[in-house]
Amino acid sequence: MGFPVSLRVDDEGIGDEVADALFAWLREVDARFSPFRPDSEVCRYDRGELQLRDLSADLTEVLELCERYRVATGGAFDVRLPGRPLDPCAVVKGWSVQRAAELLTAAGARRFILNAGGDVVVAGGPWRVGVRHPEHADQLCTVLELTDGAVATSARYERGDHIVDGRTGTPATGLLSISVVAASLTEADATATAAFAMGPEGVDWAAARPGCEVFAVDAERCVRRTQGFPVALAEA
Amino acid sequence: MKRVIPVLVLSVAGLIPVWRYEPSIGTTSTTTTTEAVSTPTPTATSSSPSSSSSGSSSTPSASTKKVVQGTAINTSKGTVQVQVTFEGDKISAVSMLQQPNHPQTTAAVPVLIEETLKAQSSKIDTVSGATITSDAYVQSLQAAIDAKGA
Repeated sequence: MGFPVSLRVDDEGIGDEVADALFAWLREVDARFSPFRPDSEVCRYDRGELQLRDLSADLTEVLELCERYRVATGGAFDVRLPGRPLDPCAVVKGWSVQRAAELLTAAGARRFILNAGGDVVVAGGPWRVGVRHPEHADQLCTVLELTDGAVATSARYERGDHIVDGRTGTPATGLLSISVVAASLTEADATATAAFAMGPEGVDWAAARPGCEVFAVDAERCVRRTQGFPVALAEA
Repeated sequence: MKRVIPVLVLSVAGLIPVWRYEPSIGTTSTTTTTEAVSTPTPTATSSSPSSSSSGSSSTPSASTKKVVQGTAINTSKGTVQVQVTFEGDKISAVSMLQQPNHPQTTAAVPVLIEETLKAQSSKIDTVSGATITSDAYVQSLQAAIDAKGA
């Protein structure tokens, strides 16, 4: 999948071996679940070399999550698009980084920031988390304050029109960017991607999901956000 | 056959009161209340406790409009009071005269705030953005934060 991962741990006594275990887990996820590696479990399943009953508990869990979001979005979010290989990346990323954060917590870390390619899990805040402006890479469009939880952003600016609306088979272009705050990155990332695939109606859909707060910029550059989106106060 | 005839007579005799039966006003308003409860609109359903009290006090007659205020009911979330409009024996409108300003009622429909898009810079600990590639990372705000921390 290939994304930069930044880790900041403020606790004393959390050694490099904890970070090493975290990065080893993320590399393992890439090897097992990447749709771009022909020997990955995902590719072998997609080619029919593995049956559903042969799959690891992890991949079974991921595919169940994918199916749940496909149903919840009326098919807009779909990891099985016609004519394309099975691509559960949108769920795998949030799920695996959330697991990585849980490795840190299990190792005793209480105050940390884990940022995996723009998807963020924090603990022991308050932390100030900027949301990248959809049109200016060096600017922010909002800053939120997060103590424990996750935020994920889906947008067009980095990888172009890579998110497809499964209902139409065409790239989703109704939103410039959408950020979702939730208790876990599994929920935040999948909800952000699924809402992005739905377009403007996805903002209302994500806002109605329990435990999710939303900040979205539509194609007309209008911001729509939930009342509970934790916008930070101006810096002191 | 002889036994069958008395049974038939009894049955016919039993049917006569049913034919002659005319529902009283009180029964009609009970029916109205039942309709209110089974009306599929969410407002009508949520207001059923109060509309039943107002329903029994109303005396609906055909094609007249009557507005009835329910009694104010104190719930654990606050006071609830509804107003029901009857047209004949049908409920045509239900509105809330009082409803609690509580998250469970006010957040039932998510309220989205509309704002204009602003560009800003600020002191931050990390940046959320769309999945970035390693190349893009080099020039990203997060890279600057990481460089400062290292």
